[in-house]
Amino acid sequence: MNEIDRDSFSPGIVCHQVVSQAKISNRPVLDGINCEIKRGEFVAILGLNGAGKSSLLRSMAGLLPLKSGHVLVNNVSVTPDTLRQARQPLAMLFQGGGLIPQLSALDNVLCGRLSAFSGWQTLQGFPPSERRIGLELLDRLGMAEFANQPTRQLSGGQQQRVAIARALIKSPQILLADEPVTGLDILAIQQVMQILADLHRSGMTIVTVLHDLGLASTYAQTGIIVDRGRVVYHGTSQNLGQEFDRLCDKVDHQLIKY
Amino acid sequence: MGIYSWAWTGLQIDFKSLQNSGGYIADFISRLFPPDLSILDVAWIKLLETIQMSLWGTTIGAIISLPISILSASNLAPWWLRWFANFVQNVVRSIPSIILGLIFVAATGLGAPAGTLALGIYTIGYLGKFYQTAIESVDLYSLEALKVSGASWFQIAQYGVMPQIMPSLWGYTLYMFEYNIRAASVLGVVGAGGIGFELVNYIRGFEYNKATTMMLVLLVVVTAIDIISSQLRRRLEQQ
Repeated sequence: MNEIDRDSFSPGIVCHQVVSQAKISNRPVLDGINCEIKRGEFVAILGLNGAGKSSLLRSMAGLLPLKSGHVLVNNVSVTPDTLRQARQPLAMLFQGGGLIPQLSALDNVLCGRLSAFSGWQTLQGFPPSERRIGLELLDRLGMAEFANQPTRQLSGGQQQRVAIARALIKSPQILLADEPVTGLDILAIQQVMQILADLHRSGMTIVTVLHDLGLASTYAQTGIIVDRGRVVYHGTSQNLGQEFDRLCDKVDHQLIKY
Repeated sequence: MGIYSWAWTGLQIDFKSLQNSGGYIADFISRLFPPDLSILDVAWIKLLETIQMSLWGTTIGAIISLPISILSASNLAPWWLRWFANFVQNVVRSIPSIILGLIFVAATGLGAPAGTLALGIYTIGYLGKFYQTAIESVDLYSLEALKVSGASWFQIAQYGVMPQIMPSLWGYTLYMFEYNIRAASVLGVVGAGGIGFELVNYIRGFEYNKATTMMLVLLVVVTAIDIISSQLRRRLEQQ
């Protein structure tokens, strides 16, 4: 088997016995997470508030200090020493976009390319070739006319599309999205989810935290349900409703017991 | 309630002397009027000096405050640097401006240079904290997004932090400039230049009418600068 073939069979992201340093009500936020995300998969991570779904996503990007266990991205371990290499195939979307509100849409997009330049180079701004690529990306997402507007003047959905352009400019293989549609209106939710679906179709691995079971089963192939820092379900996204009912029943019982 | 009564006993207020104080205050104020406008030209020169002191003092302070605030900010610096930079801030903040004035008068002699340097150091105690608060209130996600995309610490500061804090940085600095004009007036008392020096001399020499002119001129300028800078700050906030 040659290098490329082996590569295409190896998993995109592996979490093995991941325990976070941070705690919530006396247990680690992530309390022994095991999961494997294949390349080219569209995965939705679901769970109740405080279950640890955003933390799980953040651990994949190396944004969450771990107490034990390890995360592999494309076979590279995510540790403080290997962050640069491990993050190389990754891009991430945040709830609300995580843009710099005072910078223009184009400058925000170009921020996704900062790693390709030294601090001294970026002090003098980005080269025209990069600006052209940034503009093309904004155009692909229907945002070309807003390229020079500060992003704080844009709507939530428009901001998320700029954030997607910023993520895409580094040509990632894996896109992590932390509640990318929370707070958006119905039209914007559809637009953003459709973009994610298109990216998935073009071969990108998508891992997204969602709140909406309907969206998860419509767009994702696989669902991961997290409860109290552990994976309680990992399988097809079509059964998510039943699995969630079971989870909610359990929580209800506990509430009654108290 | 306990704290208030504790603070009240500490004041040791004598109500009898308070009853008589009204007359003294009225007498003092009556001697301030009418203002002696013959010294307007002196007042004007001294006032300009005060503004110049404040401008340079604020600028020196702001330039030193920026790196200190970055080193004190929880989202940019490791804990040990933060501890040290915050300690420096606290030390500076705990020295009264008058004492700073005395130190620099001893160092550079009477006059405006001493006051300017004193203001510069005094400014660090406040702007350092203001800048730090501005840096720490930057949206966390926006910085994490840059981190994940592989930006270096310097690039995160340049593209992530600076654009987000610049409007409030200018606002705080303008406010400090305004404040330093008043602080510069106080520094004159210990001979560190500015309008305060003349003001105190007139009062010590019982030339209250001249002192009034000084205070009126100061009032006009402080009001004018307050109006201008609050308009500038409002414009900055809208950015």
